[in-house]
Amino acid sequence: MRVLLIEDERRLAENVATALRDGPGFAVDCAEDGLMGLDLAGNQCYDLIVLDLMLPKLDGLALLKKIRAKGDRTSVLILTAKGEANSIVELLNAGADDYLSKPFDLGELIARAKALIRRGKGVADPVLRLADLELNTVEQTVHRSGKSVELSPMEYRILEYLIHRPRVIVSKRELLEHLYDYNWEHHSNVIEAHVSNLRRKLDAASQLPSIETLRGRGYRMVVDRQESQ
Amino acid sequence: MKPYSLARRLVIAVLLVELLSAVAITGLALGYERYTQFHAFDIMLRGRAYSLLGAVQDAEDAGDNLMLDGTERSLPTKDIYQVTDAGGRILGRSTNWLGLGNGALKVNGDGIFRTRINGEHYRAIQVHGVRIVDPGDKGGGIPRHVTVVYGSETEHVWDVITDAVEFYAMASLLLLAISGVLMFWLLNRGLEPLRELAAAASVVSVDSWEFTPSEQAQGIKELAPLTGALEMVLHGLKRSFQQQHQFVSDAAHELKTAVAVAKSSVQLLTMRHRTAMEYEAGLERCQADCERMEEIVAKMLTLARVESQEESKPAPHATRFLDCVRAAGEQLATVAQEKGMQISISGEDAAVVNASAEQLQLLCSNLILNALQHSTEGAEVRAVVQARGNSVELRVEDDGSGIEPEMLAHVFDRFYRSDPSRSRKTGGTGLGLAICKAIAARARGNIEIASELGRGTVVTVHFPASTDG
Repeated sequence: MRVLLIEDERRLAENVATALRDGPGFAVDCAEDGLMGLDLAGNQCYDLIVLDLMLPKLDGLALLKKIRAKGDRTSVLILTAKGEANSIVELLNAGADDYLSKPFDLGELIARAKALIRRGKGVADPVLRLADLELNTVEQTVHRSGKSVELSPMEYRILEYLIHRPRVIVSKRELLEHLYDYNWEHHSNVIEAHVSNLRRKLDAASQLPSIETLRGRGYRMVVDRQESQ
Repeated sequence: MKPYSLARRLVIAVLLVELLSAVAITGLALGYERYTQFHAFDIMLRGRAYSLLGAVQDAEDAGDNLMLDGTERSLPTKDIYQVTDAGGRILGRSTNWLGLGNGALKVNGDGIFRTRINGEHYRAIQVHGVRIVDPGDKGGGIPRHVTVVYGSETEHVWDVITDAVEFYAMASLLLLAISGVLMFWLLNRGLEPLRELAAAASVVSVDSWEFTPSEQAQGIKELAPLTGALEMVLHGLKRSFQQQHQFVSDAAHELKTAVAVAKSSVQLLTMRHRTAMEYEAGLERCQADCERMEEIVAKMLTLARVESQEESKPAPHATRFLDCVRAAGEQLATVAQEKGMQISISGEDAAVVNASAEQLQLLCSNLILNALQHSTEGAEVRAVVQARGNSVELRVEDDGSGIEPEMLAHVFDRFYRSDPSRSRKTGGTGLGLAICKAIAARARGNIEIASELGRGTVVTVHFPASTDG
């Protein structure tokens, strides 16, 4: 999952980005002002935007209205130091999905970020299930046919992204864009290796195939036996 | 003090005046009635007395032995009279004559006197006349002086007078009551705009500063000063409240952000197990965050102190401005050295300003530090003090990045940062220039800023020159 963090307070941005990278293993891009944030939100694919309100050049509310006007449906989590009732109503009405008042809890921020991403993908249950595959986004554990599967952080993130999009072909580029920050092009060679490792670990736990590779097009989660045949 | 009703007071005052005039009118009426009634009474008495005198003169008895028995003229039976001759001989008297009482002595010029007979009040007249005895004589008869005393009861006159006075008194009292009620009603109606004004003023609160006096209240000349004063006071209150609110809100925002940074730094450390080195680095970050919070609080307090408390103190004595600039320069020398920058200070030693040395030094160090923060390595920051006629000028110049024109107007606002990411890197709180402005204002000076992007910034402070030195 890839997150855009727009926060002008550098120290806070550093801490939040580190927490989002370390905890749920998101790829995080940081923007220091509203215009840079708007630019990144328009040109890159994000699963979540974490937005501070008081921003130089373009304030958070205006930025939110602009990206919503463009038809961007990315979940937006607002960080606000105001905490006034009417401004929260205004924020939610402008298209924000959730908000956190400063000073906030990093744990709460991570939990809300995860929930927003899940909801953004149309899933309410934090435990994602697909055929005999089970992915717990809270504990970050994976089970297949009841057996625990140990995955590296990168493999977990690939699986989490793919499991959100069953039956759909996910291109390598899409995967890269959502799993890495804006330097994703540097990682294009390693993604194949990660997917292959992931498939090997998943298949070891079950007789059924898990991830299909469609040459030149991308990857697809196999939902059940009928589809794989 | 117990509150009292203005309307009631006015009504009572007017009613008292009315009551006094009613009493006066009744008194006047009494006097007037008494005068006219008794005047008429006296004329009547005189008429009756003369008619009696006529009867005596016309008496058929030619001698002096005239006796009147009351049948001569049709006189009211209750009236009394007595006719005497010059010798005091009684020629005749009414049947009910009982003497003249003790009032008989006080006869006035018209012959009128009052007396009391048998408990009744009488008013009587004494008329002198001449009776010609034996008119048949050649010589035309002998004149005999006679005196007629004629009296009549005054009770019914007094009845008439009291009736009239009673009428006046009752009418006055009735008018008093009616005007009292009418006035109370009118006053209440008249004071309605005042109540409306009070109602309009009472809805003003910190959430709603809207003060709209009703049209009725606005149209009243007497209320105009009150309405105007209220509007002015509310306007001033609203502005200062909003400023305070803005300051508190800005300060809260700033502190919340600083706390958020510190909190996140600590939480980041505890998110998972870390090595000793990671902990050490993390704790250093936490300490830096706390120091930043401390700096924000300290600067906020400095600003508050310069802006409010010191206003009451008398102006400090003269301070040599250049000394303060030099002290600030020395204080920042290490900062400049670290950044590879130069601070050059020049100017006139004699320039003296009425401000505390501590505050002047704070002003200078803030300005020089700002200039250093916006300059690149190897640059020079110049601080020049000059006396210009009645004022002393300090110019702090840098050749740094400059400030965007649209930001320039706000740089003296509290918590304003022309470029947050940059100034946060350099540790700015957005309060430095606000403090400078407050210090300048405190010493009745002013502060200006001019900047050109890519060319540098000049901050100019003018102070009135001290006359002490």
